[in-house]
Amino acid sequence: MSFTITQRPDFALVTVQLQSGQTYHSEPGAMATMSPNIELKASLKGGLMSSISRGLGGESLIISSYTSKGGEGEITFAAGQPGDALHYALDGSTDIYLQRGAYLANSEGVEITSKWQGMRGFFSGEGLILLKAHGNGDLFFNSYGAIIELDVEDDVYVDTGFIVAFESTLNYQVTTLPGARPGTNWKSLFLGGEGLVCRFSGRGKVWIQTRQIATYLNWVHRYRPVQKSN
Amino acid sequence: MEVITRDRPAFANVQVKMQAGDKIIAESDAMASMSTSIVMNTRWNGGFVGAVLRKLFGGETLFVNEFVASEDSELIITQPFPGDIECMDLNGTSLFLQPGAYLASEPGVKMGVSWAGFASWIGGEGLFRLKVSGTGKVWFGAYGGIFVKEITGPYVVDTGHLVAYEPTIQMKVGMAGGLFSSFFSKEGLVSRVSGPGRIYLQSRSIDGLATWTNRHLWR
Amino acid sequence: MQYEILARPASSVVKVSMNQGEHLTCEVGAMVAMSTRMTVETTTQKKGASGGGIMKGLKRLFAGESLFINHFTAQSDGQYIILGPTMMGDVVHHRLDNATLIVQGGSWLASDPDIEIDASFQGLGKAFFSGEGAFWVKCSGSGDLFMNSFGAIYPVEVDGDYIVDTGHIVAFEDTLNFNVQKAGASWIGSFLGGEGLVCRFQGKGIVYCQSHNPSSFGSSLGPSLKPRQS
Repeated sequence: MSFTITQRPDFALVTVQLQSGQTYHSEPGAMATMSPNIELKASLKGGLMSSISRGLGGESLIISSYTSKGGEGEITFAAGQPGDALHYALDGSTDIYLQRGAYLANSEGVEITSKWQGMRGFFSGEGLILLKAHGNGDLFFNSYGAIIELDVEDDVYVDTGFIVAFESTLNYQVTTLPGARPGTNWKSLFLGGEGLVCRFSGRGKVWIQTRQIATYLNWVHRYRPVQKSN
Repeated sequence: MEVITRDRPAFANVQVKMQAGDKIIAESDAMASMSTSIVMNTRWNGGFVGAVLRKLFGGETLFVNEFVASEDSELIITQPFPGDIECMDLNGTSLFLQPGAYLASEPGVKMGVSWAGFASWIGGEGLFRLKVSGTGKVWFGAYGGIFVKEITGPYVVDTGHLVAYEPTIQMKVGMAGGLFSSFFSKEGLVSRVSGPGRIYLQSRSIDGLATWTNRHLWR
Repeated sequence: MQYEILARPASSVVKVSMNQGEHLTCEVGAMVAMSTRMTVETTTQKKGASGGGIMKGLKRLFAGESLFINHFTAQSDGQYIILGPTMMGDVVHHRLDNATLIVQGGSWLASDPDIEIDASFQGLGKAFFSGEGAFWVKCSGSGDLFMNSFGAIYPVEVDGDYIVDTGHIVAFEDTLNFNVQKAGASWIGSFLGGEGLVCRFQGKGIVYCQSHNPSSFGSSLGPSLKPRQS
């Protein structure tokens, strides 16, 4: 299997070449184009249990699976939002934690489950619900905005709305910044992460994104059609 | 008239350097900024019946703006969404554009509607499609980056990712997978295109953005 | 205070490096990541060498909401903060030298606390609002100013006159005169042609323009979104 990621970092497109008989999985709706000999199946991947655990992470219970039949095939994946995409080769030694919504696609040999951060400091909105990718194979994750890779040496605070993914070797703790508060008067319908940060320490990579969903939702709200009440 | 497409591919916009008498046509609300020596005239998009049909079925606006310069001037033309802009020099050839893709053209380019077929309507794209033909340059844009594919045989494209295609391309709307798979995979209906010819694709779709946004709108 | 603009030109963020005692004032919701020896305070107050005091007119003109801002202070040397705007687009730095720049409200990202921020500025009149939520911030004094755009930022050095569609203005120097006028030859034409009102700048000064118009984008996306209650 070979792949390319083009249109980085603003409208990233992942192109994967599949060998005959090879299967790939993705977030439903992520396929932009594909060869005609690729068969699409929506499935409860890996059986019922891992689907349910993935459901707790906010990801859909359904996964799209693509198999190239009778020859090679090509498929391109695109997220719904503008932003970046990155590949990570999992080899069993390090797992990747991903923010929900960051999951794009994976090869066979990779298992995706959900990990619940817990109620402490949990905000409605993003919170810190994570998916865990484990195994041996390829993982593609995406972002809203560009991805910046931070190789943690000194501790760093990342606002929870901007976390894409991080290596399991890192210690992480969700906390609030003293002195910061969302502001009682501020009419912010969707902002959940302000003042809520994740402190990363130890050694490992954390991928952050340069835009966050909450402020986008606040802005787009005014353009939504108004529900007509009878 | 010197035309440069700048800030590609994420926020492409067209810088037009005009001299006295130069004229360019652009879709509604496309002007970002301009010299004061340019006059903007608004007119019906090519005939009453055509304009209405285009509005109802083609998704284009009823009006276009014609910009005329009276001396050396500059005009910046843009599109509503972020993304890339392509330019095609039509020389008696024609091109089909998806709704919302048309941006601007030189006066020699004719805009018309052509029947897209019921399959296209079922696929959510409308009964008619915009066809540009004639002589001169046409600028069309995408939401996202533009990538081009020269195809000979069949190919599957999520309909929201299609921007433009040559008239030699055949288009059929079909299910992405089996009934269960198509519904749950959210691919739903796709376009099965076949060549020979060129298709212009975009790496994002407004539908995809709306779906992602709606998923997060919890109130 | 050093700065670096990353992920240009469409997913831009600015990384500001700060040494002990240095401050930065910025929009709430903009903090992406930062080193840990920084303090933050959410307030409506102004801080800086010229002393405290309420920032003028931080109540937005029509929503009645207060504009909350964050003051960041470095507690030791070698600290940094990464700031990201709401919209896709670019970030630009402008050095104010005892001058005044009028900035579109959504385009103000961060500034040196010594810069006077006045959001009560009404010089442009109500007719000038390109879309709901538009307001203008008058920035005066000396220091570093960071602005963001929806689209590519292009500065136009006006010497004479120039027309800019109202939704495409990021900021302009107050040495310019401006006049709101109809876009086309006729009023009907102006509205049908989608342009509506434009701003005609006269004199000598810089106008920072953005290649794209947020309300055009919002309006093209809006119809596909889930309806809202009010």
